Amino acid sequence: MNKKKKALSTIQPYFWLLPSVLLMITMILIPIISVFKISFSEVGRSGLVKGFNGIQNYLDVFNEPAFWTTLKNTFVWTIAVVGLSTVIGFILAMVLNQEFFGRKIVRAIVIFPWATALIIQSVIWKYIVNADYGSLNVLLKKLGIIDSFVNWTGTAQTMFAWECWVGIFVTFPFVTFCVLSGLQSIDTALYESASVDGAGFWSKLFKITLPLVRPSLTVSTVLNIIYVFNSFPIVWTISKGAPADQTHTLVTYLYKFSFSDGKSGQAAAVSVIGFVILAILASIYMFMSLRGEGEE
Amino acid sequence: MTGKRKTWQKIALYIFVIILCIIILYPYFVMLITALKNNNEMYATDHILPQTWEWSNFAEIWSAAPVLRYFINSFLIAGGATLLAILCGIPAAYALARMKFKGKSIFMGAVIMSQMFSPVVLLVGIYKMMVNINLNNSILGLILLNAAFNQAFAIWLLRGTFVSISPEMEQAAKIDGCGTVRALIKVLLPMALPGIITTLIFVFINSWNEYTIALTLISTDTFKPITVGINVFYGFNFIQWQYLFATSLCATIPVVILFLLIEKHLVAGLTSGGVKG
Repeated sequence: MNKKKKALSTIQPYFWLLPSVLLMITMILIPIISVFKISFSEVGRSGLVKGFNGIQNYLDVFNEPAFWTTLKNTFVWTIAVVGLSTVIGFILAMVLNQEFFGRKIVRAIVIFPWATALIIQSVIWKYIVNADYGSLNVLLKKLGIIDSFVNWTGTAQTMFAWECWVGIFVTFPFVTFCVLSGLQSIDTALYESASVDGAGFWSKLFKITLPLVRPSLTVSTVLNIIYVFNSFPIVWTISKGAPADQTHTLVTYLYKFSFSDGKSGQAAAVSVIGFVILAILASIYMFMSLRGEGEE
Repeated sequence: MTGKRKTWQKIALYIFVIILCIIILYPYFVMLITALKNNNEMYATDHILPQTWEWSNFAEIWSAAPVLRYFINSFLIAGGATLLAILCGIPAAYALARMKFKGKSIFMGAVIMSQMFSPVVLLVGIYKMMVNINLNNSILGLILLNAAFNQAFAIWLLRGTFVSISPEMEQAAKIDGCGTVRALIKVLLPMALPGIITTLIFVFINSWNEYTIALTLISTDTFKPITVGINVFYGFNFIQWQYLFATSLCATIPVVILFLLIEKHLVAGLTSGGVKG
């Protein structure tokens, strides 16, 4: 009896995990395996998997000039959006950590871009920067800043720059709130004694603030790298990769491959390339930040 | 000297904050005024504000397209996904917070790793699988997928909440003859309510705002959630911006309010819940 009870208590935790594990295996693990399998298979236009064909899908992808543009865009997109969002979000968190009149309202307003669906945010910005009737042109003309309407998205570069702007716009609030929660746990006595010792703003920033909010910054940066790298609605809504596949990121590129061109094999290969890059990026960052913590 | 410097700092701070708020609110302002313009004014570019305020746009969207149906679908998908995510997440988070077992750190690692695979990169596999089990183009399929892709966050937030509550009360209840399940339901869950509500709302918002999976899997108009449904106003050569933005506003306001309610708990949970132990 006792023995049976003991055996029950060793396997009991696994029963508690079971529903969650089942859900994640069926909905996440099986698709992961399937993507890997498809990436090494010949796939017909109808989606029928015909059999193993080695690395042919990968070679096909590498032979597309658009793939290399897409890869470059993806790096620019991820680094620019995560980097600038982190800087802006950090500065804003420092500001919001001060006492001032209306702080609660500002905090509430900063939530807006985070809470709004990406697709809705993307559609609004598409309307704002429209060259013929967009509200940015109307506003700037009314204010006398421009004489005639500007075609904000005339070239692939300007189009992509606007997409990065929207990316930053929806990403920085998350950084702000992560850093803010880190800042609020810092004992103010630390700053007071540093002031007594004659420390200025910058030395307080680098010696006290940054090291202490580092765990929060690590969480927000790792999650943002993953989200921004995988972000689909902004680029898909604003440009769909146009003009001439010059503004894709990996996820919109693979989407186009699969669901517009019917080339699932190549799309799966792009997915796998995406996993690998993301895993490398995330582990480099984790490694660097863990090593940094060890040094102190 | 320092007093003067303080004043300047205050002024600089206010200028920064005001500019920031204007930039953040600008798209929402555009959304509102465009939603209130009538169709003739839409492409006229000499006024910022509507010349006639068409409040009736907000009434017309419901008959111009099956917008109510889209809202109901979004509600079913987000509500179903939230319920499922929390029902699977609570026992898992409880085991991780309170029990010792082999493979615990592997499971935690796998949960965190699962965050790296967003639905978009898996879409080729997801689509194939859902076609195989006949759940593409169905609301149930979207419920299952949203629940699964929110498991990591649900477990992360719930575990953080459970860890922060001392196990003594449950142990006392067990000595009084409660089983583990009863102690969990009667003692721990009421104390963890703020964390549970935060998780519920967060998963709900994520599923409500989800776009990519629904866009790919749903082809029947009557199954579309609102994020995909608004595309009806976005025709190939004719865009009804006023309806598009009126609907978008209706879909955004409740979510923003919900988010404001949980912001404090959510951020603390995200950054601290997983870091410890």
